Parts: sequence; C-alpha cells; structure tokens
Amino acid sequence: MSEELISKVKQMIIDSLRIEGMSADEIDTDAPLFGDGLGLDSIDALQLVVAMEKEFGVVVPDAATGTVVFASVRSMAGYIAEHAQ
Amino acid sequence: MRHEYLFPEQHGEQIGTLARSVTGFNPLSCQESDVTLSEHVRLQIYGTAVSLCRARELRAVGQNPDLIIEHSMGIYPALAVCGSISEQDALAMTARVGVVLTEAFSGLRYALGCLVGLAEEPARSAAARHGVYLANYNTSRHFLLAGEHAAVMAALEACSAAGAFSVSLFECDAPLHTPDMAEAAAELRKIFDDYHYAEPAVPLLEHISQKHLAAVDIPVFLLDELLHPVWWQRSYQAARSLGCTVFSEVGAGDALKKFNRWIDSEGAP
Repeated sequence: MSEELISKVKQMIIDSLRIEGMSADEIDTDAPLFGDGLGLDSIDALQLVVAMEKEFGVVVPDAATGTVVFASVRSMAGYIAEHAQ
Repeated sequence: MRHEYLFPEQHGEQIGTLARSVTGFNPLSCQESDVTLSEHVRLQIYGTAVSLCRARELRAVGQNPDLIIEHSMGIYPALAVCGSISEQDALAMTARVGVVLTEAFSGLRYALGCLVGLAEEPARSAAARHGVYLANYNTSRHFLLAGEHAAVMAALEACSAAGAFSVSLFECDAPLHTPDMAEAAAELRKIFDDYHYAEPAVPLLEHISQKHLAAVDIPVFLLDELLHPVWWQRSYQAARSLGCTVFSEVGAGDALKKFNRWIDSEGAP
C-alpha cells in the first residue's frame, strides 16, 4: 500500500475524531489504535467506520471485523486498499 | 482487580478528605476505604469526587461556565458546581443514594448494556422484547440498556443480531433510569428531602425535558431522573441552541465529548 494512503488514513483519524494537538506525522503507522496506543474506544470505532465509508467507500460491517481493521493505521490502510471500489 | 484512583494534588487531597469525612471512603486511598460500601457505590463516590476536582481545576484557571448540563449521576456534582448544594452534600447524597439502591435491589442481579451502532427503533424493540429499557439516549447510535442482568444480556444479543456494531455489559446495583426504580422511590425521596437547595447560581439544564432547574424543582427531579431515561442528545442540542459553543466535560473520561462529536457530525436535527 502507498505512503499516500497511509497519510490519508492518519489525517482521517485526526479529522473524524477531532484529535487536538497532534499531527498526522505523529501517529505511529504500526502502533495499536485502541488500548495503549491512541487509546480509542468503541465510540471512536463507530466514528471511524462512518468516516471510512464516507471517505473511501469502504464498509466495516461489525465489531469483529473492526477489531482487525482498527488494529493500526497500517491495517486500516490495508483494508481500504483491498476493499475500495 | 485493584483500582487506583488518581487525583491532582491539592484539589484531590481536599476532596478526598471531604469524601472520607462524609462517606467513610477516601477515593485517594483504597486502604482507608469503608469496606461496607459496595464497589459500585465507591465508584459512584469516585465519579462525584472526580467531577468536583475537575470543576475546581477549571475554576482555578478562570474557566467559569455559562450553563451546566448533566448526565445521569453527574447531577450530584453538577448541583454543587452550580451552587445549589455544597460539595460535602453532593458527596454524601451520592453515597446515600448508592447505599439505598444496593439494599433495595439486593435480591436480583442488574446490568447496564452499552449499545453502539444500532438505530433507536430496533434498539427499543429488542429492549421491549426482553423486558428491559433504554436508559440512556446518548446519540442516534449510542444507547444504554438497563434491567435484570440476564434480560439485558439477551437484549444485547438481539441487538447484535440486528446489526449493532458493538455491545458490552456492565454489572450494576439497580435498574437505573427505568420505571423499576419506583420500588425504591420512598427511600430515595427521604434522602432528597433531607437537603436544602439554593437557587442555582449558574443555569442548570436537566436531562429529561431540557428545562432549567429552579431550587424548588430539584428534589423532585432527583427522584424523577432515576426513573426516566437520560436524553443526552436532546440536552446537548438544547445547550447548542442556547448559544453554547465550548463544552468542557467535568468528570472521569471523555464519553460525553465523543457523543457530542457524533451528534455534531450528523448536523442539525
């Protein structure tokens, strides 16, 4: 997957979750987004689901899929690359 | 599991000491805890204490609110922050309500079901089919169910089958924000009638019908709110329509901030 897509995903995370005081460059591509990483939760996950659908036309159908997709920025970008129309 | 309670220096120490003096539980020190209080009651006291600390911090840096909106048990510290009751009374009221609920509903197991991603109608339908209630309407896609443990679990399974994005279950002492709370109404009313309520110095918007609470309304509302759902989306939108543009969450966590973000993302109703 391209670095451009990874950057877009990072910016989408910042914009959709309204993360303040952090730039896209500061998000570690491989760090976990939930728990110890960015500390996201299920409320954030649903916000990301909507943002991914709106921005990339990619659907995350359920939390089980979300657990895999939202493991890191890299996994999100990989899912988008695989499923984008 | 061991819980560590972290408070900022100074305000935390003062509020912790105050909490211990009126409830027997100091959120700053688990070793000094009154072990007769259940874990849920201690968590409720902790929640009130955190809110009081946070409010002091905000005031200390000159952030004074033009309006206060409250969510569920947040009403107790909200009453103190708006000047209607003292911090001491907020902590004592939190503990007394918690103890009454623990005793009144000790015969059954209760739970709250956190539901994310399902729309209101299927959520309400699943709840009704399993004899539980929608206790919090936080956004168009975030709800809390309340009722008996097994029934909440079954309702959550139905919600998952209906397409909910995620569900999770938390044990609690009572069927909060449901009509089933009427069982404890007499005891709760006694608690709320025990306190003197001054007129709020800062307007306080309640979460049932989004009206400003006057002093005379407060004890009635305190009982009503335990028997009725929390309408957070409506409260947030009401505050918006009153001209509020900056919101500070005064408590543990940032769930309300995230709910507000979701509501904003959907645009005006």
